[in-house]
Parts: sequence; C-alpha cells; structure tokens
Amino acid sequence: MGEDTLLSFVQNELQIVVLIIFGTLYAVKAYQISRRPAPPQGGVPRAGILGGVAKSYGMTFVPWMMESSRTHLGRWLEYAVYHLGAGSAIAATFLFPFAPSWMVPWVRYTFLVFIALASVVGVIKIVRRFTRPELRVISTLDDYFSLISLEIWLLTAIPAMTLNRTGMIVFFIITAGFLLYVPFSKISHYVYWFFARFLFGVKFGRRGVVPRSGGA
Amino acid sequence: MSGVDIKTEALQRAKEELEKRLNRTLAVSASNLCTHCGWCIDTCHYYKATKDPHISPVAKAEKVRRIYKKEHDWLSKVFPKWTGAKELTEKDLDELVEVAYRNCTMCQRCTVNCPLAVDTAQILGAARAALNAAGKSPEILVQLADAAIAREESMDFFKEFYLEQIAELEKEVQERLGNPSAKIPMEVQGARFLYVPLAGAHTIVPPAIVFNAMGESWTMSMFDAANYGVYLNDRERSKKIADRIVKEATRLGVQEVIVAECGHAYVTLRWEAPTWFDKPWPFKVRSLVEVIDEYVREGKLHLSPDLVKEPLTYHDSCNLGRNGGMFEAPRRVLAGVATDFRDMNPNREQNLCCGAGGGLIAMEEWRDMRLTAGKPKADQIKATGAKVVIASCDNCRHQLNELNEHYDLGVQVFGVAELVANALTKE
Repeated sequence: MGEDTLLSFVQNELQIVVLIIFGTLYAVKAYQISRRPAPPQGGVPRAGILGGVAKSYGMTFVPWMMESSRTHLGRWLEYAVYHLGAGSAIAATFLFPFAPSWMVPWVRYTFLVFIALASVVGVIKIVRRFTRPELRVISTLDDYFSLISLEIWLLTAIPAMTLNRTGMIVFFIITAGFLLYVPFSKISHYVYWFFARFLFGVKFGRRGVVPRSGGA
Repeated sequence: MSGVDIKTEALQRAKEELEKRLNRTLAVSASNLCTHCGWCIDTCHYYKATKDPHISPVAKAEKVRRIYKKEHDWLSKVFPKWTGAKELTEKDLDELVEVAYRNCTMCQRCTVNCPLAVDTAQILGAARAALNAAGKSPEILVQLADAAIAREESMDFFKEFYLEQIAELEKEVQERLGNPSAKIPMEVQGARFLYVPLAGAHTIVPPAIVFNAMGESWTMSMFDAANYGVYLNDRERSKKIADRIVKEATRLGVQEVIVAECGHAYVTLRWEAPTWFDKPWPFKVRSLVEVIDEYVREGKLHLSPDLVKEPLTYHDSCNLGRNGGMFEAPRRVLAGVATDFRDMNPNREQNLCCGAGGGLIAMEEWRDMRLTAGKPKADQIKATGAKVVIASCDNCRHQLNELNEHYDLGVQVFGVAELVANALTKE
C-alpha cells in the first residue's frame, strides 16, 4: 500500500468504521441511561428549571461560579487549555478527511498551539497523579492509562498539524485505537457530563439554589 | 438458618436495594462521569479538617461506585482490576457504615463544586439504603424513626401527656407576652397554618410568641417534624413519618404546613416527600423563617434593629440553603434585629457544613469525628468576630453549641424565631 493510499485509508475508511462503532457504543450508553427512571422532583418550584439548567452548563465554563475553580484559578486554566487542545485534535480528525479545505495554515497552527499547550498540561497532570497522595488513593489503572494514552495522542497530533505525512498516519492510527477505547474508559465522562449537568440544573434550578432565585 | 445464610441474605438485600436506587442521576454519577480529577477534595469539610485523602468526597463515592461499576460498567465487568471495580461483600458493608454515616454529612458541597456535577450525596445515600436493607444502619437512627411511627400508632397513650405539656408551655407564652389570652392551639379545624415543631419547648414557645403577636390563625397537632427515616434513606419509614403530618394537615384543612427551624425536616416536607405520594397535597409547605420574613416584609412585624448590638453572623444550614434554596429570608429578618451583621465566608450555597448533618448529631459514638469535621466551621465563625451565631436548624444549633465549647469560640447560638420572640417580648 503506497503512503498516500495508506494515509487516505487511515483518514477515511478506518475512521468511518471506528466512528460507527464509537457512535453505536454511545447510543447504547445513552439508551441505558434514559431507560432508568428520572429522579422525581416534588414540591412547588421556587424557580423555573431553564435558569438552573443554563447556569448548570455555564458554571463549567467560567472560573468564578464554583469555589473549586475560583480558588484554584491555575487549575481551571489547565482544565481549559487541556480541553481546548483535546477539542482541537478531535476537530482535526474530522476536518482533515471530511473538510480538508478548512485546514488552512492558520487553522492548523492555531490547533497546533492549543495541542502543544494541552500536551504540556497533560505532563503536569500525569506527574500530579503519580505524586499527589490524595490523587493516588483514588486512581485506577484506567486513570493512568487514559492520561498517558491521551498524552501520546496529543503528541502525535503535533506533527500531523504540520502535514508531516508519517505523523498524520501515526496520528490517525492512534485516533482509531483511541476511539475504540474511549467509550469504555473514564474519558467518556464528556457524554455523561451532558446528562449530569442537566439533572443538576433541574434539581437545583427549581429549588432556587442555582441560580439563587425565588426570593427565599 | 445458619449465620452464613443470614449474612448472604443481608448481602443480597443490599445488592437489590442498590439496584433499586439506580435512577438516572445515580446511574450517571456512579458511572465513568467522575474522572477522579480531585476538584472536590478540598471542598469537603472532612478533608479540610483532617487532610485524610481516604475521606475526600471522591474517595468516599468510589467505595460505592466501584460496586455499581462491577455490575454495570462494560470494562469493569471484564477487567474489574483495571477500573477498581469489585463485587459487594460483607466486609464492604461494614466499611460502608463508616463511609456513609461517619465520614459524610451529605451536605452536597462537593456536588456544587464538581465540574461534572457528580452527586456524591446520592451515591452515599444509595449506600445508606443498602445498609438499611441489610440491617446494618446505626441503631439509634432506626430507633428514632420507629419511635416517630409508634407515636402515631399509640396516640392515645401519648396524647394526654403531650397536651399537659403544651398547656404548661402556653402559660410560659402568656407570661412572656404579658397576654393571658395567648394560646397554643391544638388540632384546630380550618386554621391557616399547621405548625410542626420538633421535640422540645425551644421549638414551640418562640413561634407561639410570634404567631400570637401577629394574631395568626394557626394550630399544632400531635406530631413533630423530625424524620429520621430520611437519614436511613428508608423510603417506607420516611413516608410513614411524613404521612402523619400529611394526614393531619388534610384532616384539619389547613392552607399551609409550617415547618420548624429544622434543615432535614424542611427539605423533606418541602422538596422530597411530595414525590412519595400519588396525589398532590392540598396545602403548601414553608419554613417558619419564611413566614417570619413575610411578616417583616409586609410591615406586620416591627423589629428593633438594636436588639443585638454585638456582631452577629448566620450559619446557612446545608439542607435549608444549598439543598432547600432558602438564603435571603433569614438574612432579611436578622437585618431587622442586628446592627452589625457579618456574613461568613463562604456562605449561602457555598457554605461549610457544621459537621453534624446526615444524622451524625444523633450518633454519639462518632462525636470525636463530628467535632473534628466541625473545625472549618468553627474557624469560619471565629474569622467573622461574631459574638452571636444564628442557625435555622436545630441539629446545626446543637453542633454549633458543642463547637463553641470545644473550640472556645465565645459565642451565643440562637434560632431566628428565638431572636424574634426575644425582640417581641422585650418590647
């Protein structure tokens, strides 16, 4: 198989197959959650749920709404950079094969900066997980593996952003493997996040806690 | 039946209960939602006080989550060691008693500070339900819940004695108000409010003074608001206890049930219990503090702003505040009686638990841990420089009094109604 053919295969056919598997696994997960009973909500609502749901999603994106981010601004910035980098790498896996004309130099180099910064944060996170007693106590093999494999994936994304063909092939092969592992690992937290934030917003919104409302 | 069989049956019941509790919130929170990022760790008053990584919110939740994962998580079913999953054992149940009762007050501070909104209280609540099913709940909580249920079943036995006690308290109300016609009305049909107190004169006399001074149409009944079934996460017991009040309110045809200054009773009757019944209730539920706030806002109740000249602060009970949404009503009332109000930092939905929530106040065997876990609250109070601390929850007040003694805070602790009653009787 020639290099271009191989690149085309890992970018297209391979990605499509693993994305179908990935999507199917998430569809099953979403179905499994939705067949559970919704938590009952009782009592005359103090406020509407819309405000609660909106603020619930919003509080993740701004550092001042939670004490855990307000008092650890550096940690929040790490979190923002890490997710921005991972998001850039994910976007690249779609744009390279399906909208290559969008991958103009400034887009690729912007992604590259985000991904490089995220990989630096990734190293910090790995070191922290190995060295902090309070994190070691709660860490599983999946935690270590997920962090390290995500770091490797981010590092392989860097040469891919420069259009280095070998780098791109390695990046897409690792992406495929990663897509197969993610639905089984803690990296899948982002799917549950949508459910959890919604449920949080409904409960605390109608009680007038998040946001504080209803006059009491 | 052999001892082994009994243990196996208990374990089975615990497993079934864990499964039964698995609603959408729990299914998500007990899944891979938690990334073990550790943001929750230093939001917990237990961790703040001890720096013990084994009692951080995520570490506590993980003790239950790993059991759910073994049953429901794809990877954990095949490679449990990879994800830390494990099958529930008898030993785990014994460990969970400490995790769910001694080491967590279900205050939900970790949840409002979790970027992923993991509901740790619900996870540990499921553990409490499983322990209850296995017959491993703290005995004192079971006894208190059963005593509340027995009170309804043996009402004839209690009624005469209770009415005599109320008559004594009525005299005290009359004396303090200087009004011989002041009443503590019992079982009055068609009253506007059914006030449900706690056990103890301190939750009856102050509101009686306020209601009489306001000329309110109110009544009491034979039952108190405390619901220890909630701490056990025992739906059957909780519902029976709440049902006594629902039946009384319905029988008397009141418009509203007014709950004493009690965190768990308020959140139970205001938000939780309505979901346990098939039909909507024909009455509203409010806290006594909300009613007093209404009197103040409507200009019916005139308070003296110089009643408390010393610095005063307010402790947000987790159940009234973070879980119940009541933040401003007590502050508005206190603004009317104090010249130097100082909020604690943090406050409202970010308040720190006093360390006695989740029924821990009743479990004397863990008093040491309760006082240790209350240290961050004691430090908070100290930092305000307040000499008077107000709390609208009876369990919090007990704990704050103990913290006051233990950490030498030099404060006085009152409830909102008590302070307002003092203001009214001072005049």
